Amino acid sequence: MMHREVLEVDVLVVGAGPAGLSAAIRVAESSRRAGGEPLAVAVIEKSRQSGSHILSGAVLDISGLDELLPDWKARGAPVDTLVSSDKIYYLTSRSKLRFPFNGPLNNHGNYVISLSRFVRWLTGQAEAEGVDVFTGFGGSEILYDGERVVGVRTGDRGVDKQGVEKSNFEPGVDIRAAVTIFADGVRGNLTKTLVKDLVLEGPQPQTYALGIKELWELPPGKVIPGHVIHTLGYPLRNEEFGGGFVYTLPEGRISVGLVVGLDYRDPRFDPHMAFQRFKQHPAIASLLAGGRMLRYGAKALPEGGWYALPRCHVAGGLIVGDAAGFLNSMRLKGIHLAMKSGICAGDTAVEAIRSSDVSASKLAAFQKRIIAGSVRRELYPVRNVHQAFGRGLLAGLAFSAWSMVTGGWCFKRMLPNEVGHARMASISRYYGTEPQDIRVSSNAVTVDRTLTFDKLTNVHYSGTRHDEDQPVHLLVKDTDLCRSRCRELYGNPCIHFCPAHVYEMVDDGHGPRLQINASNCVHCKTCDIVDPFQVIDWVPPEGGGGPEYEGM
Amino acid sequence: MKIAVCVKQVVTRDWPLRINDSHTWVDDRDASFEMNEPDAYALEEALRLKEQHGGEVVVCSAGPPRVNQVIREALARGADRAIHVEAESLASADGAMVAEALAAPMEEEQFDLVLTGLQSDDQGFAQTGVVLAEFLSIPHATIIMEVQVGAGRVRVKRELEGGWFQWVSMSTPALLTIQSGINQLRYATLKGIMAAKKKEVRLVEPPAELARRQEILMLSVPERTKEIRLFDGAPAEAAGKLVQALKDDARVI
Ligand SMILES: Cc1cc2nc3c(=O)[nH]c(=O)nc-3n(C[C@H](O)[C@H](O)[C@H](O)COP(=O)(O)OP(=O)(O)OC[C@H]3O[C@@H](n4cnc5c(N)ncnc54)[C@H](O)[C@@H]3O)c2cc1C
Ligand code: SF4
Repeated sequence: MMHREVLEVDVLVVGAGPAGLSAAIRVAESSRRAGGEPLAVAVIEKSRQSGSHILSGAVLDISGLDELLPDWKARGAPVDTLVSSDKIYYLTSRSKLRFPFNGPLNNHGNYVISLSRFVRWLTGQAEAEGVDVFTGFGGSEILYDGERVVGVRTGDRGVDKQGVEKSNFEPGVDIRAAVTIFADGVRGNLTKTLVKDLVLEGPQPQTYALGIKELWELPPGKVIPGHVIHTLGYPLRNEEFGGGFVYTLPEGRISVGLVVGLDYRDPRFDPHMAFQRFKQHPAIASLLAGGRMLRYGAKALPEGGWYALPRCHVAGGLIVGDAAGFLNSMRLKGIHLAMKSGICAGDTAVEAIRSSDVSASKLAAFQKRIIAGSVRRELYPVRNVHQAFGRGLLAGLAFSAWSMVTGGWCFKRMLPNEVGHARMASISRYYGTEPQDIRVSSNAVTVDRTLTFDKLTNVHYSGTRHDEDQPVHLLVKDTDLCRSRCRELYGNPCIHFCPAHVYEMVDDGHGPRLQINASNCVHCKTCDIVDPFQVIDWVPPEGGGGPEYEGM
Repeated sequence: MKIAVCVKQVVTRDWPLRINDSHTWVDDRDASFEMNEPDAYALEEALRLKEQHGGEVVVCSAGPPRVNQVIREALARGADRAIHVEAESLASADGAMVAEALAAPMEEEQFDLVLTGLQSDDQGFAQTGVVLAEFLSIPHATIIMEVQVGAGRVRVKRELEGGWFQWVSMSTPALLTIQSGINQLRYATLKGIMAAKKKEVRLVEPPAELARRQEILMLSVPERTKEIRLFDGAPAEAAGKLVQALKDDARVI
């Protein structure tokens, strides 16, 4: 008989990001203040160490932190580089134009931080409040009692490639909780299941972007910390949504990244290549000259905004942060909203547990808190922006300027928004009848390994590691599709969109077949999001596997 | 049986390393760390011996405060308590210095068996265990593949070169340096992680006169010496040139 460990807690949080940790801290703190038997709070996190799967820009709007821990300075938060300069440029292939206004991207009073470090600190704060943070445990299944969420089952450990138990097999643990808070980040595997199981979709489908980032070190004196640069335009075309960022940190560190909407049309478009081109632009290349790349990583972000939020309260469960989509894509900021939604969820959970009522209607207090508070105040006015960007960059810019002036008022209440993967065009629709080499991405560049890198070199710099002897964690429902319809129609876009070279079409004499190099996976979730046939399901690998982001 | 396991915290395997400004060590300011691999096997072996023979497993580590990470991990997997000889100067210490730092508090404990990893993934001296055995005045054996415990004695299988093994018997207390891969590592359980929080970690100061015996003069990255030569011509002709080059230049055939 298999012995399954069971743990009972009052509140279980899935995902130790800013959202989940804020919720956990809030619950523990208010339970401590109230006195009596403290509420048991557990957080599970799939990364080996806290913060290792956290990647962000990041410019921090401190309003969330101020609300959670007003004395954060005294507590030694790694938040110390105040934004000192803030510019937006429009890039053409060779030159740059400075925008006269900063509009929504205005970063006055914000800080440039490393989110993975910040999260590590936040974990310490949670533990000091008595929260149990379990790293190395990925949530793989939701436990229900009818329609009520009663907890989460973590993944089995010690299973080999063929799915056979190894001698150190350890079955997943059932963590049962009165309230489960889903903070599993963008396209979280559990939130995805929950939204589907309980039909929680919002009025519009969620849309996403992929952020690719490198951390560089430059010779001493070359960079002044606290500079923030955002770019629009090159290397993205009018039909692609997104932009670049450069944030400078102390010790000559610099964060460079490109965010690309995962609703692009060209099936041969490669976001990683676009990022290489971004670095090659004279404005960026001159900044990076003489420096060297220290780290690499990629992660998706939700961009659908207010109307794409699912219903975030169910009996026994709440959804917070990027998992729900609390991100302001106009400002490229989600950390403070993740924290604020976490705070609202924490308060709601405590209230519900105290009154011994965790029904959906009781937990709907979460929604009331969101609507009455600063989260809606920030997200509602920009509710139509991404949809406008979906119509091309210039239209989007005009729209966002207009949106700011009018407070987002629009002729129609909602601009329709398509699911991102549905916008990908077929090879023939996009390229016409001219034969195409589908193995090469349309924006390929030759890499020089100094400024630009191939995916495999980059993956090495993400510190990614998985136990090789485990089942593949990218479940492709139908691999026949890859060699037949997907190949004909889209030319296997997975080999281009994955920023970690996980997908490869190989031919060992019997025709092309899909090879999945799962151990390269940096958990960005792009494949799960953008695959045009929606046959790829990202599930958590054995706990502890994945990237090791440090300083990202 | 009272068993000690010495564990070291090292920079994660395959970490993209950089050398520090003084060229004496890697720049570990923002490196990611983990338990030295052979030490993890030593810990597992200790836990198995405890399961068979009863007793106690004590984790011993010398290093800066960050070493607490691997100590907690060892406690979560099942070790009973820990001794941490804590000093910033122990961060990239040589084997003898680490052994000396550990010797005094370990001597007090009167362990029946001391297990260490065969060598560390970073410096690779394979000496810490051996020198420690000398400090503790107990016999030792290295590169251990199997451990059998009897009354007052241990019988161990040592790995020799070329696929040969050797069985050695010695009296306890004894020190064994454990080879990677001798068992299957267990996972930390949730209960283990929670229990670890309540386990004792005794912080000990290193001896006052503790100093390095060795100084790292310089560390350098291996130079790329790989060379690619392409032989052109018809396949048969190119193959001929290749064979010639393998004979004359590479001298491998
Ligand atoms: C390139 C890029 C740049 C950005 N720049 C900025 C910026 O400058 N400013 C800003 O405010 N925001 C920025 N953001 C957005 C911001 O990073 C996110 O909004 C924020 O991190 C969301 O926090 P979260 O806690 O909801 O999710 P996350 O930070 O993603 O945390 C989720 C955690 O859950 C874990 N997890 C997921 N699934 C499971 C599972 N099944 N079991 C256990 N654990 C699980 C993950 O490993 C992760 O640690 C940026 C994002 C990207 C990608
Ligand atoms: S396999 Fe999917 S989740 Fe993993 S790195 Fe590639 S696109 Fe991202």
